[in-house]
This record gives sequence, C-alpha cells and structure tokens, in this order.
Amino acid sequence: MESTATHAPSFLNTAREQQRTMVEEYYADLAKAGGPKKPVAYMLVGGNLTEIVRSFGYEVVFPEIVALNCAIKHVSLPNILHAEAQGYGLDVCGYVKNDLGLQELGGETPFGRIPPPDLLVCSFSGCYVYVKWWEALAEKYGCPLFVLDVPYMREPEVQAEDRTYLIAQLKEFIALLERITGRSFDLGELRRVLVQSRRAEEGWVRYLASGRHRPSPIEAYFEAVFYMFPINVLRGTERAAEFYATVNTEVEQRIRSGQYPVPEEKVRLVVEGVPPYPSYRTFWDFFRKWGAVSVAATYPKVGGLFDQGFLHDPGRPFESIADYSLAAYVNQSWPLRRKLIADYVRDYQADAVLIHGIKSCRSFTAGQGDLRDWLIHDLHVPTLYLESDHEDPRYFAPAQIKNRMDAFFESLGPRREGGPPPTEGS
Amino acid sequence: MQEAPGSGPGGPELPASLEFSDDLTEFLRQPSLDQLLQLARDVVLDPTYPTVRAWTRPGRRAVGCFPVYTPQELVHALGLLPVSLHGGGENVEISHADAALGSFLCSISKSTLELALTARLAPFRAFIFPYICDVSRNLEGLFSRLMPGVETHMLHLPQNFRSEATLPFLVAEYRRLIAKLEKAGGEPYRPERLEASIELFNRQRRQVGELTATKRDHPGKLTLTESYLLRRLGGLLPREVHVPLMDRVRSEVEQRPARTKDVLRTLLVGPFCEQPTLDLIDLIEQAGCSIVDDELLQVHRWYGSVETGGDPLVNLARAYVQSPVDIGVRAAPTSKGEAILNRVSAAGAQGVIFLTAKFCEPALEDVVLYRKALDRQKIPYLHLEFDERSTTFEQSRLQLETFVESVLFD
Ligand code: SF4
Ligand code: SF4
Repeated sequence: MESTATHAPSFLNTAREQQRTMVEEYYADLAKAGGPKKPVAYMLVGGNLTEIVRSFGYEVVFPEIVALNCAIKHVSLPNILHAEAQGYGLDVCGYVKNDLGLQELGGETPFGRIPPPDLLVCSFSGCYVYVKWWEALAEKYGCPLFVLDVPYMREPEVQAEDRTYLIAQLKEFIALLERITGRSFDLGELRRVLVQSRRAEEGWVRYLASGRHRPSPIEAYFEAVFYMFPINVLRGTERAAEFYATVNTEVEQRIRSGQYPVPEEKVRLVVEGVPPYPSYRTFWDFFRKWGAVSVAATYPKVGGLFDQGFLHDPGRPFESIADYSLAAYVNQSWPLRRKLIADYVRDYQADAVLIHGIKSCRSFTAGQGDLRDWLIHDLHVPTLYLESDHEDPRYFAPAQIKNRMDAFFESLGPRREGGPPPTEGS
Repeated sequence: MQEAPGSGPGGPELPASLEFSDDLTEFLRQPSLDQLLQLARDVVLDPTYPTVRAWTRPGRRAVGCFPVYTPQELVHALGLLPVSLHGGGENVEISHADAALGSFLCSISKSTLELALTARLAPFRAFIFPYICDVSRNLEGLFSRLMPGVETHMLHLPQNFRSEATLPFLVAEYRRLIAKLEKAGGEPYRPERLEASIELFNRQRRQVGELTATKRDHPGKLTLTESYLLRRLGGLLPREVHVPLMDRVRSEVEQRPARTKDVLRTLLVGPFCEQPTLDLIDLIEQAGCSIVDDELLQVHRWYGSVETGGDPLVNLARAYVQSPVDIGVRAAPTSKGEAILNRVSAAGAQGVIFLTAKFCEPALEDVVLYRKALDRQKIPYLHLEFDERSTTFEQSRLQLETFVESVLFD
C-alpha cells in the first residue's frame, strides 16, 4: 500500500499565506513592544488569560510558541546548549531550555527579538513545569509573578468549587493589573474581546470537525498545528476570528474540488502527543508516504478543549474563562484523556492511533505506554508508540522512526482488509 | 517476628519478607536503640510493607500516600492507617513499569508502579497522589486503571498562596478526598476524630522536630542514617506505636555521648521525594559531612503544628497553605536564591549538597537558581545525582571526599 512518492500538500494556500503574515506581523510588533507604551506579559498556552491581559494594554509573549518556532526553524539547539551550560540538565523540558537559553543570549531569533517581560502570568494548567519555569523568569527579571492555580480536571464536568476558586483568582488578578497599570478594568471591553474569541473558537471547532469527512479534507495534526497560532496567540482579535472563516471556506472548496492532504487516503489516524518540531517535515513525510492522514489529534487542544464545549462566552465572562482554563488538554486526568482519545477513534472513524512521546515532557508523556497498552488490548485499536523530542533535534532518530512507522503501516494493510492484527504495537 | 517467603501474583518470586504481630509491639520491645535501628533498616529494605501487612491482618485498612505531602491526619481520622510510600528502593527490579510509564522518568514513579503490578501493594485499600509534579499526578491515572478495586485520588495541592480563595478551595479538596476514603472503607468523617488525630500528629511532629534539632545542634549524637530511619518508621508504623517509640528514643539519644570530630556542617537539598539508598546516606557523613538540615521525608515537617480548636478541617488546610516550606514542589513563597541563603544561615551550614533524583525535574530546575545564589555568596556546594536503585557509589564517594577536603582544608 506504500505510495511511491510523497508530494507537497497542495491544499495549503490562502489560509496558509494569511497565517504566515499574521505570525510575521505578530513578531514584528513584539520586537517593537517593551517600550514605555506597550508593556509585555509572558503567558503559557494552557489556560491562558489572553483576553484579560490584552484588555489592560499588554502585548503577550508565549515562550512555548517562541520555542516551537525556534525548533521548526532549526535554531533551538544553541539555546538549549546554552541553558545546559547554565546547569539545566538533559532531562529538563526543551521548551524551558530553549527559552531560558534564549533569554540569556539576548532574545534574538530569526523572526525578531523577543522582549523581556514586565509581567509573568503563570496559568498553572496541566503542567507543573510551568511553575518552575516562571519562577526562574521571576528570579531573572524580578517582575511581578501571578500564579493562576488551575485545579486538575478529574471529573468530566466542571466542579463548582473549582470554578469558584478560579473566579476568585481572576478577580484578584484583575485587581493586580489595575494596581500595576493604573488603569480601570472595563468589563464591556472584556465582553467585546470575548465575542471575537468565541467567533474564532467556533471557527476552529468547525475546522477540526471536518476531519470526520471521508476522506478527510484536513490534516488534523500537522496542518492543524500551523493553524493553532491564532487560536492561542491572537484569540480575542477580529483578525483571528476572520482567519478561521477563511480556513473553513477553503476546506469547503477542498471538498468540492477533491483536494485532499494525500492523493488517496489509506489510513485514518488519531495522533496523540506533541510533534517533533525540529523534524516536522520529515515526520510528516513518513505519514504521507503511506497515505496516512491524521483525522483527529489531541495536541491541537493544548490551548483548550474547545471542541468539547469549553468556549468563551461574553454573557458569562468570568465563568467561561474559569471553565476554559480547566480545559487545557494536559490538565485532564488520564481517565478523561483515555476517553477523549477513544471517542475520537470512534467519531472520526480512525483505523489506528499513533502516539508521539516527548522525552523531556512528563506531563504529556508519563503514562503514554499504558495508553498504548489500553488501546491495543482493551479497545483493539492498532497503536504505535514513538519517542523523540519536541525541541531537541538530538533525539530524533529518522531511520529508526521511519522503520517502525513503515512496519506499522505495512501491518495495518491486511488488518483493514480483515487480516490478522498488526505485529508492531501489539 | 519471623521471616516468611513472599511472592506476588504476576511478579517474580520475592525474597523472604519480615513478619510481625498485629499490634507491632516488636518495635517497642527492642532492647536497645541500636537494635531498633537495625529492625528499622530491615523494614525499610523490605518492599513488601511487612508492618502494613501485619497491621491490616485483622481487617484494618491502610492508605498509601505518595510523597511529598498528604494530609495524613485526615486519613487517620477516618480510622485508616496512612502509610508514606517511598518507592521500591534498591530491592525492586523494574520489569513491567517501564513500558507503561516511559523512559525519561524518575525511578520512584516506576518502582511504585512496579510494586503495584507485582501485588506488593496488596495491603492497601486506597492511594493518594498529591500534585507535586506531573509524574506523580499521572501515576494516579495509571493506578486508577491498573488497580481495580482500590480507590485512588489525585490531590490537587494549591500553588497560589496569595489568594483569599486558596484556603476554602483546599478545604473543598479535602472533602473530595474524604468522600474517596469513605468509599475505601473509612469511617464517616467526624470533626472530633480529626481534632484528636491532629493532636496525635502534632505530637509526632514535635518529636521529629526535636530529633532534627538534636542532629543539628549535637551532630555527634545521631547520624543522618539514624535520624532518617527513625523518621521513616514514622510514616510506616501506626502513629500510636511510633509516638511512644520516639519518647523512648529521645531519652536514649540524650544519654549518648556527643562525639565531636572535624566535620563540614552541610545542608542537604533535593531528596524530598525519591529516596537515596541507605548506603548513599551513610556515605555522605562518612565522607566528612554532618548534615545539619535536610529535605528528606518532608511530610513530618511541612508545618510546625496544626492549630487546635475551631474547625479542624480548616485548621489542617490552613497549616498547609501557610507553611513556610520552600522546596521544589511548592510554588516559591520567596525568591529561590533568597530561600537557599536563608536556610544555609538558619542551619549554620558551611556548605550545601544537592542530592537530586535522576529525572526529577522540580529538583533539577531549582538547583540552577540555588547555585547562582550560592556562587554570589561564595558558599561551597556539590551536586550529585542519584537513583534509588543504584548500589555503587565510587564516583560519589570521590566527589564527596574532594568536596569536604576542599572546604575544610582550604
Ligand atoms: S507540557 Fe510538556 S512541553 Fe509543555 S511546558 Fe510542560 S513539560 Fe514542557
Ligand atoms: S522524584 Fe521528582 S519527578 Fe519523580 S515523582 Fe518525585 S517529585 Fe516527581
């Protein structure tokens, strides 16, 4: 079933161009920020409070996104090595090392200079490393640090005590911002921003849901990762909302004109885990070669489980921000994660699951082996587990990864036609 | 006390394990402190939890509490035995847990899972995993699947210590835990029972505080290993046994001569969760350090004492929230640099040893900040990494001896 040649995906055009421009402009604006007019807040993707912070006039930097951009552009390693020289060990999360190395080296990247923070907002939602990372930044810059303590999601529904706790913290955060900036909080402005967030989120959800089509008009992992930028970084702007409208128009055109991620969809996959950014293209090629398409993925939900109904609501601003912050993917307990993945397999009619484990990320990865075991033995879903890193190119072994993927996809063939279960991954 | 062969269904044949009577009076009957310490050593090295097996034999129930902090008073108040889990130590082969958990992970997470998968945690009816790091948190999710029939709970310990809402949240969180423990066979929650448990645990904490103060002020009276073993028993034995035991220990320690020798007064930082082997703990002091304060077994030292009177659940939660403890698994109440310098000065330490478990990210990230502060003040330090399963320490011995010599004879 192996295709003879990979091809560049033909479907990435208008939206892709818009996205590129938005990213470039964002970094260009950042390079100008940091002066007296535009203070800078650092924030984390999971459970982020972009809408509130922007309503106080801050420009927002997401060091995780800077880190992944560095990795995609193959410039993460010098930053990582610099952090290691300061004492951050091999085991420390690559995002952290990229950022702390970059900070020490002056913040210059090929896409612009990253300004230092005036405010550190740690939305502790699903990753304990967030707390450690922001402590290190606070130590370096001595600027105010606010920790939004987001309870771990252990039940499928939001618990009243968690919501109450979060809303109280949000109000304390606003009081802090008022003190720091000397500006008054404007609830009307927040509601207006949330209207745009909601539009963007609905567009994003629609885009993700189109993976249910057979064949899928979208690549719900590699392509969706490109399109995560506006939903996480520019959420609350009209531009982000418009962007997803463009994306969805394009997806409809693809269906009409039969333009798909691969010429012939042969394997439908659910993908779990952070991508190996330093080898993004190579990894994607290993999928395309077999006509394998991701129809759903967990990683694009790190910024929020919008597709599970956790949407911002201008009519319930604080409540919906609180609920949203709980719904970062890695803030879900393993039973909730398992259920989500099983639902994706069923709802998106996937043939198999591919798990990409990250050596330096325990939050995502600790327990993925057990997930694999559960999928194979309890759900009888063929599953492949691979491991490398999201930032550090030294951990991506292309030949080994390719061999394992080849063997896996090869073995899927007879199974899909009613043959024996695959050997790899069982 | 006798030895009996142990084995775990699904696991390898285990070495012979210790057997005790139901009331564990063997501990109170040891003729000397040295014999008690030998017994403690045997218990710590036995991965089948012999004391828990004995105590639960007549139908009592035990709850495994993963490090670093859990409200063990609350477990006790429901008529359950809270037991501090500390991984498998050097005597557990990892053969099942690696595949489930992943490779770049600390050993305690793997050995704890291995103990579960090889039935060595069979005496436990419930497990509590606090959110001290992503590994501990995720481990709970695996236990909930792999240990059907026991209750598991991931306890969200708050990280915002400035909010007015943190205390009520933690009280609510404790109520969730109570509901789980009641399902695991705990008696219904009664505030007066919790008040009594708090008083018992306050006594135990006082005793542990006195022990560590003795170690700090009269280093010759007690080795680190001895202090460690006595504290470790405190998380294994019913407190009703450990508290009278510690009263006896105190008078025996007081009578010991205060030997003095040229030692380096050292602060030991890092091993708050995974535990170094006893040999490694021994080695630190053999090399010429005297540990004047340490991060081992923090559960006994999270706060001085819990207030009594008023709502005991609120008091217990407040004690956690207001704790001054500044270690890698609690959002820093001050700057990290300031914290380490304060601790060095409070303990009268001349140097610091960072002893961090391999792959323990919370510990590793703090070390970088601590080192910068120590460098600024020219306070000497040494960083060693360990794994609870390593049994050879030649390299560590050399590094320790060189460190001590360089500081003492510089
Ligand atoms: S979730 Fe993983 S990759 Fe992201 S910051 Fe945490 S440890 Fe790093
Ligand atoms: S040793 Fe460190 S990483 Fe491992 S469970 Fe303990 S705190 Fe977490």
